Amino acid sequence: MSDDISDGTGFDEGPGADEELLEEELRQAASLLDPVPPALLQSAVDAFALRDLEARVAELTFDSLVDAIPVRGAAAAPRMLTFSAGEVTLDVEVTEEGLIGQVLPPAPARVEILTGPRPATTATTDDMGRFTAAVTPSGPFALRLHTPDEVVMTEWLRT
Amino acid sequence: MTIGTIPSAAYHDVPYTRGGTVERSEVGALVRSAVDGDAAAWKAIVEGLGPLVWSVVRAHRLSDADAHEVYQTVWFRFTQHLDRIREPEKAGSWLASTARHECLKVHRQARRLVLTDDPQLLDTVSEDGAPEQALLETEEAAAQGERVRRLWQEFEELGERCRQLLRVLIVSPPPSYQEVSAALDIAVGSIGPMRQRCLRRLRARLEGRGTA
Repeated sequence: MSDDISDGTGFDEGPGADEELLEEELRQAASLLDPVPPALLQSAVDAFALRDLEARVAELTFDSLVDAIPVRGAAAAPRMLTFSAGEVTLDVEVTEEGLIGQVLPPAPARVEILTGPRPATTATTDDMGRFTAAVTPSGPFALRLHTPDEVVMTEWLRT
Repeated sequence: MTIGTIPSAAYHDVPYTRGGTVERSEVGALVRSAVDGDAAAWKAIVEGLGPLVWSVVRAHRLSDADAHEVYQTVWFRFTQHLDRIREPEKAGSWLASTARHECLKVHRQARRLVLTDDPQLLDTVSEDGAPEQALLETEEAAAQGERVRRLWQEFEELGERCRQLLRVLIVSPPPSYQEVSAALDIAVGSIGPMRQRCLRRLRARLEGRGTA
């Protein structure tokens, strides 16, 4: 932070009429000069279709971006993510080649890689619960697991 | 001299609950309707609170591409949060806080990544028109264009804390102080005094340039 908020007057009168007027001008300037881009607004409206009432949401419980200590010299370490929903854990590694993941405890599952209200890429787990997908999402993504018992969906995240 | 013709009545009477009790009063009901599957209610939420989410992203000075991704991620995640929401009337604070966290992640990521010249990544940069374009297209505003531009320029050149605070405060409709607090992680009680100082500072800058 580069500035000191204090202006040295040492007191605050209530909101002055001049200030309110100025803020109102600024509000209108923001609406004109920096509105929500229309395509984004539409994208958020369309997102209502992403609701999945059947899926249990798996929360992000580990994100190497936040929780890991960077390894000295490791230039571009892959992003490691862990999602949990009850006893189900999903580990995901985001590499330049694609996604590598594992469902624990191992379960046969179909894994959808969602990137928005578009058709998803699909992968299937092996007998150790592992899966790979040759896509590296750029932007928001989520994984939806269809196991024999239930549907689990990860929190939406940005790669 | 004001730019438009519709002055906001939001804080003539109740400065500390402005927005929080008037424009935002419908949020709780809209969220409950959306939970019941009402797509029109969802659209109203996006239209009412989208500018707040956008302001948080802008306050954090992300690139256009990152700003777009964070904005989308926040709304996508809200579709999952909707059915578990405990305090529907605080949806704005949840959105603002989620946006702030995602912005901070972008800043962390930026510190770790080397600049890319991958054309595919560069292609994801927004194709939105330059901000000035929106202004020129609005006939009514054309006459005031120069003043608006200078006002915006002075605002952009304020110190970082003032610029951040004001960017969120000037959302339409005006945010509640709880939402501003969630957006910027500052105490509700310090928003009012900071707001006054920042606006005074902006006014002083404008007067210094002879534009007030």
